[in-house]
Amino acid sequence: MEKPSSKEIEVTVISGEGLLLSRRPVKKNVSVTVKTDPFNSRSTGVDPEGGSYPAWNEKLVMELPLHAHFITVEAHAGSRLIGVANIPVSDFSGGYLPENYLSFLSYRLRDSNGEKNGIINLSVKVKGSGNMGYAGSSRPWMGVPTADAKVSDGIVTGIPVSYRY
Amino acid sequence: MGNCFSDVKGGQQAVGSGAQLVVGGAVGDGSATAGTCHNDAVDYFFRAKGEVALFTPIELSLSASKLCDRDYISKSDPMAVVYMKRRDGKLEELGRTEVIMNNLDPTWIQKINVTYHFEIVQTLVFRVYDVDTEYHTIPVKMLKLENQDFLGEASCVVSEIVTKRDRSLTLNLRSRDGHSSRSLGTLTVRAEETVASRNALEITFRCSDLVNKDLFSKSDPFLRISRAVETGGSIPICKTEVVNNNLNPTWKPLCLTMQQFVSKENPLVIECFDFNSSGNHLMIGKLQKSVAELENLYQSRAGAKIMAPSSGFRHHEKVLNSELFVERFVEKQLYSFLDYISSGFELSFMVAVDFTASNGNPRSPDSLHYIDPLGRLNAYQQAIMEVGEVIQFYDSDRRFPAWGFGGRAHNGSVSHCFNLNGSLPEVEGVEGIMTAYTSALHNVTLAGPTLFGQVIKKAADIAGHSLSCHQAKYYILLIITDGVVSDLQETINSVVRASDLPLSILIVGVGGADFKSMEVLDADNGRRLESSTGRIATRDIVQFVPMREVHGGQISVVQALLEELPSQFLTYVRSRDMKPLNVL
Repeated sequence: MEKPSSKEIEVTVISGEGLLLSRRPVKKNVSVTVKTDPFNSRSTGVDPEGGSYPAWNEKLVMELPLHAHFITVEAHAGSRLIGVANIPVSDFSGGYLPENYLSFLSYRLRDSNGEKNGIINLSVKVKGSGNMGYAGSSRPWMGVPTADAKVSDGIVTGIPVSYRY
Repeated sequence: MGNCFSDVKGGQQAVGSGAQLVVGGAVGDGSATAGTCHNDAVDYFFRAKGEVALFTPIELSLSASKLCDRDYISKSDPMAVVYMKRRDGKLEELGRTEVIMNNLDPTWIQKINVTYHFEIVQTLVFRVYDVDTEYHTIPVKMLKLENQDFLGEASCVVSEIVTKRDRSLTLNLRSRDGHSSRSLGTLTVRAEETVASRNALEITFRCSDLVNKDLFSKSDPFLRISRAVETGGSIPICKTEVVNNNLNPTWKPLCLTMQQFVSKENPLVIECFDFNSSGNHLMIGKLQKSVAELENLYQSRAGAKIMAPSSGFRHHEKVLNSELFVERFVEKQLYSFLDYISSGFELSFMVAVDFTASNGNPRSPDSLHYIDPLGRLNAYQQAIMEVGEVIQFYDSDRRFPAWGFGGRAHNGSVSHCFNLNGSLPEVEGVEGIMTAYTSALHNVTLAGPTLFGQVIKKAADIAGHSLSCHQAKYYILLIITDGVVSDLQETINSVVRASDLPLSILIVGVGGADFKSMEVLDADNGRRLESSTGRIATRDIVQFVPMREVHGGQISVVQALLEELPSQFLTYVRSRDMKPLNVL
């Protein structure tokens, strides 16, 4: 069988904090695009009311090439770019992080001039191949994925709390 | 709100929802309002309160076996008395069981209530008495214990009980002086967390026909929920997010815990405000309802009238057209810290000790590392002992990694992460840490500079490795240092990377140095940490306490450091929907 050239990742775009446009708080219609390479990207819907503290809690399922070193997250207000963050693949995959581990990550966005511009909160899970070994496991973490409930239906526990600065 | 053009969204987030531990003192209603838009009066209320340590009411059930027979014509009539040993060594009686007649293997019915505190070693003493027949008609509270026959005594720590799978511990009874070799029987104590302590409510509120407070647009309403207290004031519990430009808002669900509202019959004050960026929020209306009444509203689909804020000139409150509805009312059980611990989750202790030259020559009495021949513990030893003696009960194998940093080994190179125990990475028990520490002082030359990055990375590697081994472990790294870090950014980077792992970091500052850079790491006092690559810490995992601040007071270093640990643990496991190991 041919060796797969990519793996599947689930990126849940949770929320944004302190997003600015021309140094003023964004008012509405923020969306996020996640790219795993220049030809593969997925976008969230817009948050029409969240302003500069938008919340999506939207899951994007994507293919991540095995050779990829980072994924890119872009925040837009309409067609205008708010900021970009490059996320190293090593932050959520490889090393000691097992497959199916749910990583909660937050990154500083940079605008087109390289200036700091707010924070994006998301979670990433690398899907397992299904034949994972549990060697030496007598007390496994009994984790299950966070429920795919809509924002208004459930309570997301443990999401990073907003700080003002 | 239409007049304001600055960013106010941070203050519009919901606060306190889902917080299990928010039980605090009353705060004044008169919050100062500055000109800055970021001063949010409601947020100030919550910040001023601070979070109170986790406390969990538990019930102890007692039984005994093979008691010593003290009666000549019948069997013993046993009763058990439970004490808590205080810091000064005195025993405080917590309660007594009933007397069970003619029984050497009693199972007492009366439960003894104890409040569990994670951050304290709580020593329980159990004494069993044979109550003479002539006293059987007297209530047990009235019995003089010196008139009864002493059958045996046992002691243990509360955390020894709650960490057992079945939350039960069997102890051998011994005589008062401990000399008798004769078996006095056994006492079994079982701990149950009271159900109420886990209860939580998920409530969705909706309002209709709110009064408009904005000149050029509609109100931006939010709710604040407080618990009324007998003295007439109220303690804020939580608030909703702000819904912009809406006179018929439905807010996102709030999660209230039993510890927040204490009882379903307790009156809650529900106030509706129009958000104002100046922090001076206008009250739209208010009402007072208990949780039970809110449940009735939900079941009957009825609305509750919102009262206008009373003016100084009228003696009655005006009834508005506005109404509050309960859209959703769900009772649920949160898994508690003890649920995880008793199912097999463990807390693993790790220690890192500062061996930089700024501590002073260990042979000199004014050195922070001085080993007193009289046995008095130095600051490092105190910190290790006080933290270790609490956490050791949560680790089944009690093998702890112990490192030093900033010391020069025999080969002449300075190491910023060396094993205290020479070649072995782990030591056995808290005593093992103490022995390895003393031994390292003789084998290592103090050097420098002070770097945290490597020991934090080492701890993170161990915590991360446990994930790939799928171990149910949460790691606690204690760093004891006398000075300011030289690698603050590298330290921040390693903390940020570790913040998504099952790890918490406790930092104790000893000596008289300026620890301002430590306050940066402790996010209680500062912003979310940001690494040099732009990654932001997922959660706050660092606690810093200077040793000197607490020596004079009643609260020890241990309590200040450890009281947030259960919250950090729960934040980690709940965010990943991890369940206790005995839940399918």
